[in-house]
Amino acid sequence: MSGTYRGLLVEREGPVGWLIFDRPDVGNAMDAAMLADLPRAWADLDANPDVRVIVNTGNGSAFQTGLDVRQLAGDRDALRAQSRRTKHADLRISAWHNRVGKPVIAAVNGVCAGGGLHFVADADIVIAAQRATFLDPHVSLGQASAFELIGLARRGAVEPVMRIGLTGRHERLDAARAYQLGIVSEVVPDVRVAARRLAEKIARNPPETLRLVKQQLWRALELGLTAARREAAAAKSLGAP
Amino acid sequence: MPYTEFQTLKLQQRGPVGWLLFNRPESLNAMNSVMRAELADAWLELDRDPDVRVIVHTGEGRAFQTGVDVAELATDGLGMERYRADMEAFDLHFTAWHQQVGKPVIAAVNGICAGGGFHWVADADIVIAATTAEFLDPHVSIGQVVSLEAIGLLRKMPFEAVMRMALVGRHERMPAQRAYELGMVSQLVPPDQLREAAQELAETIARNSPAAMAATKRALWGALETGLTEACRRGALEVVSVWGHPDQDEGPRAFAEKREPEWVNPERVES
Repeated sequence: MSGTYRGLLVEREGPVGWLIFDRPDVGNAMDAAMLADLPRAWADLDANPDVRVIVNTGNGSAFQTGLDVRQLAGDRDALRAQSRRTKHADLRISAWHNRVGKPVIAAVNGVCAGGGLHFVADADIVIAAQRATFLDPHVSLGQASAFELIGLARRGAVEPVMRIGLTGRHERLDAARAYQLGIVSEVVPDVRVAARRLAEKIARNPPETLRLVKQQLWRALELGLTAARREAAAAKSLGAP
Repeated sequence: MPYTEFQTLKLQQRGPVGWLLFNRPESLNAMNSVMRAELADAWLELDRDPDVRVIVHTGEGRAFQTGVDVAELATDGLGMERYRADMEAFDLHFTAWHQQVGKPVIAAVNGICAGGGFHWVADADIVIAATTAEFLDPHVSIGQVVSLEAIGLLRKMPFEAVMRMALVGRHERMPAQRAYELGMVSQLVPPDQLREAAQELAETIARNSPAAMAATKRALWGALETGLTEACRRGALEVVSVWGHPDQDEGPRAFAEKREPEWVNPERVES
């Protein structure tokens, strides 16, 4: 994990690799520079042999509020590149987009809005601070919403996801309800302390096994039940120690 | 715009909200042949009404919906045969999903929702319920198979609860509170305030871009059809479909100017 990352802090603490959004003045929104550096940040954490588990959180009062539309409006090349990636469903934002093999915990420290939901939908495990809220303002701005909500809809009850999508900026889901619905598995006062504790527990498990489990559970979201089990069985017979 | 006078349904407009009421309270709003035919038209009528931005449906009386009218089945000599051809051809037209309604649809479950009543819970975008609402699926207790509506629910909520209702039949009811905990419904309201709450939610949603909501709706329902990656690929097409639409300029401009946006009211796209 060498070098710096624009808009991001990447750190290691024991077996835990941290990927921290660091644009607190703008709700950690993703500008062109952060978008450009996210793939490298994920890749470096995934490649570092000392990192067993990755925790993703934000500095300041927000977790993530999506694209920094104002910055991108003034950066035509970056906007064009991002539009092209959107069009081709070839985003490079989240751990899932970047094919991270290690367990990823999203530690939602505050508001998570719009494109910020990528990091919730695409994490393996999600925990949240009590003050965390979730909303998707896309339709209030005339934008359709897809990837983030599609990902969320695959993870749990769909009706609440539809509601987030259709109410737009006029309604928020709070952390307690997110917990009830199984969108997050833990709600705590201090999300970094809890995330570290959880990551250290996971880090006690064998990395190669974690990698296979993660791969197969995500793969299961692509297939019908029988096909997913058939594939998993084949992988097991190949890879079993 | 005056709506068609239906025998078993009532259509009403309140502001930007179109209301579809099941109106056979004496039969707990069971769906007889007439209602089945009328629903097909009613959905389209509201979806095509340019003054309607959001649709709410609920039931008159103490029930929301109790599915196919068993009394009619037992007495008209046709029984289930009347449905066979449509079912075999999967040619159904009584829910918003069947009719490919593009506008947001809210189901407001005012009381008991039984058996085939789940069609309208499974096929709504958003579901709210009275605190007194109850859910049950008696199909197997009268020798009928439940499938389509349960399949819809299975895609949208935890599996075990759906299977339990399907197998326990009429001998158990799920209270509204449990439906809320499971994410089958997103809001519980005292029964005498349900319609008001539904109207309020619908008006909130009506403040968002119709074009963007229609595309979002297609992306999300589409996600129930395929694997994750393929769903994202198709979802991308929906995102791109509204690029260049006037609402995309109007939304941010209205936000900056601290006023309500003036959205383009889209024509219904006939599919």
